[in-house]
Amino acid sequence: MSAPAAGRQAHRVRRWLRALGVVAAGITLAALCMLAVVLLFNAAGRPDASAVRSGLGSAVAGTLWLALLTSVIAVPVGVGTAVYLEEYAPRTRAWRFLASVLTNLGGVPSVVYGIAGLALFVRGMGLGPSILAGGLTLAVLTVPRVFTSSRRALASVPESLRWNALALGATRWQVVRDQVLRAAAPDIVKGCSAALVRAAGAAAPLLIIGAASFTTFAPVSPSDPLTGLPTQIFAWTARPRAGFPALAAGASVTLLFVMALIRLVPWDLRRRHGEARG
Amino acid sequence: MAFRSSTGAPARAHSGDRLVHGLLLGCTALAAASAAAVVGALGLETVRFFADVPLSRFLADLAWTPLAEEPGFGILPLVAGTVQIAAGATVLVLPVAIMLAVFLEFYAGKRTASVMNATVAALGSVPAVVYGYFALNFVTPALKRVWPGLEAFNGISACLVVGLMILPTIVVLSREALAAVPRSVLRQAVALGATRERALLRLALPAAGPGVLGSVVLAMTRAVGETMIVTLAAGNPTGVSWNPLEGVRTLTSFIAQASMGDLAPGGIEYGACFAVAAVLFLLTCGMHALGRALVARGYPGAPRGNRS
Repeated sequence: MSAPAAGRQAHRVRRWLRALGVVAAGITLAALCMLAVVLLFNAAGRPDASAVRSGLGSAVAGTLWLALLTSVIAVPVGVGTAVYLEEYAPRTRAWRFLASVLTNLGGVPSVVYGIAGLALFVRGMGLGPSILAGGLTLAVLTVPRVFTSSRRALASVPESLRWNALALGATRWQVVRDQVLRAAAPDIVKGCSAALVRAAGAAAPLLIIGAASFTTFAPVSPSDPLTGLPTQIFAWTARPRAGFPALAAGASVTLLFVMALIRLVPWDLRRRHGEARG
Repeated sequence: MAFRSSTGAPARAHSGDRLVHGLLLGCTALAAASAAAVVGALGLETVRFFADVPLSRFLADLAWTPLAEEPGFGILPLVAGTVQIAAGATVLVLPVAIMLAVFLEFYAGKRTASVMNATVAALGSVPAVVYGYFALNFVTPALKRVWPGLEAFNGISACLVVGLMILPTIVVLSREALAAVPRSVLRQAVALGATRERALLRLALPAAGPGVLGSVVLAMTRAVGETMIVTLAAGNPTGVSWNPLEGVRTLTSFIAQASMGDLAPGGIEYGACFAVAAVLFLLTCGMHALGRALVARGYPGAPRGNRS
């Protein structure tokens, strides 16, 4: 092939690849814009009289309770397990087994955790369809995800950092606390908040363990009936009556807002470790 | 390696060190116990279910109607529905996702890339139930203008929206796989006279192949487990249909629909939910492990990570 012909062909291939890429980017961007427009447009619609009396307060309170319970349980357990396996435990066959089980549990869908939560917490421990049962279910769902991201963060800390600190006389915990965790903190925080945000948006497990679609009061303690924004959105979407799509859209916008708030919680940690934004 | 595995004892044992060691061990025990409890709960009820329903009927019946006069307990119709949704979503979204990954890695300018990264991240953080709302209240009515014969609950709208949901997984992981191919190799190819596009199509893409394939498997795992979109948009038909304009019932949407009524413990439907959940568990665990192995393999000749 002569040089100019090859050049022309290469030029054509390049133009095609670039054009296809632009089209793909446009489709993706358009899909997101469409989603946002549909939500905001429907949320701005007026729900009719029968729907107006359904408020969001108890659902928001339920979601905040669930997020609190999930983070209080899943973050220490997930991060602690990652630190133990990555920094302390000898690498035996049992180690390899446990690590791979926990990692692959992260790929199990949330419905399955809902079914397991139904057997373990709602019936087994007799908690009934309560906020506590929901929080425990979401925690069990979140632990593997927190574990996987934390373990990856710890594994990316250079080995030399550990050896150097040990050589200077630090104890193992001092090495982990002052060197390894400090270096891995931004990624651990990022992974934890992503996992928690996903848990806060999960509807399927809560539906399965029996979330109420209509509550008359906001939950004030973990033993109150289970409610939350995702299940409320589901209930309003699945009910084909006038006015409810507007409510569901409003609840969706509220849920996205609450999720963004949860993402902002560890702002102090981020600033301390000099990371720009999540 | 010797840092942690030589003797198992801390370098210098302080009482504080021992306390922390104990706490971390406790966390690990809790995590292991919760994993065991999930597997145990699923296994126990599933075994009880199979005491009532023989495994042969579970595998060979051609209908899944646990509550009918003549009940059918075949898992195959549900598996067929799940395959339709997962494969349909992947086929629809794959070209867009791969083109976007290649574009972001090799062509996009800085500003375009950051806008698209934010877009993909936003799509990845939308909860499934909101996607379900979008499918039912926007995608289905919009498609109905094109195909008036479309049913209110249909497979095609669920496929489209599940595809949108798994797009970020494919884009992010494929892009990582492309980025992992050493740039020096591509530059050498160009230095030897290959055009940039030839290096991209003949070197970078094949080298990133396992990683891209892994990203697709992981995305399909999410599609298999997707519940809310399918429950809201695809309905709950009892028959099997391969027509995308009609409704589809999947493993996940059966569980969701069944558990919305009151599940009496010990009832046949309660047991059926656990059996279906156990099938989902095995399926997704296997697919997840396969996807992760492919992603971890990297390009041919990639250095092995010596940790983990």
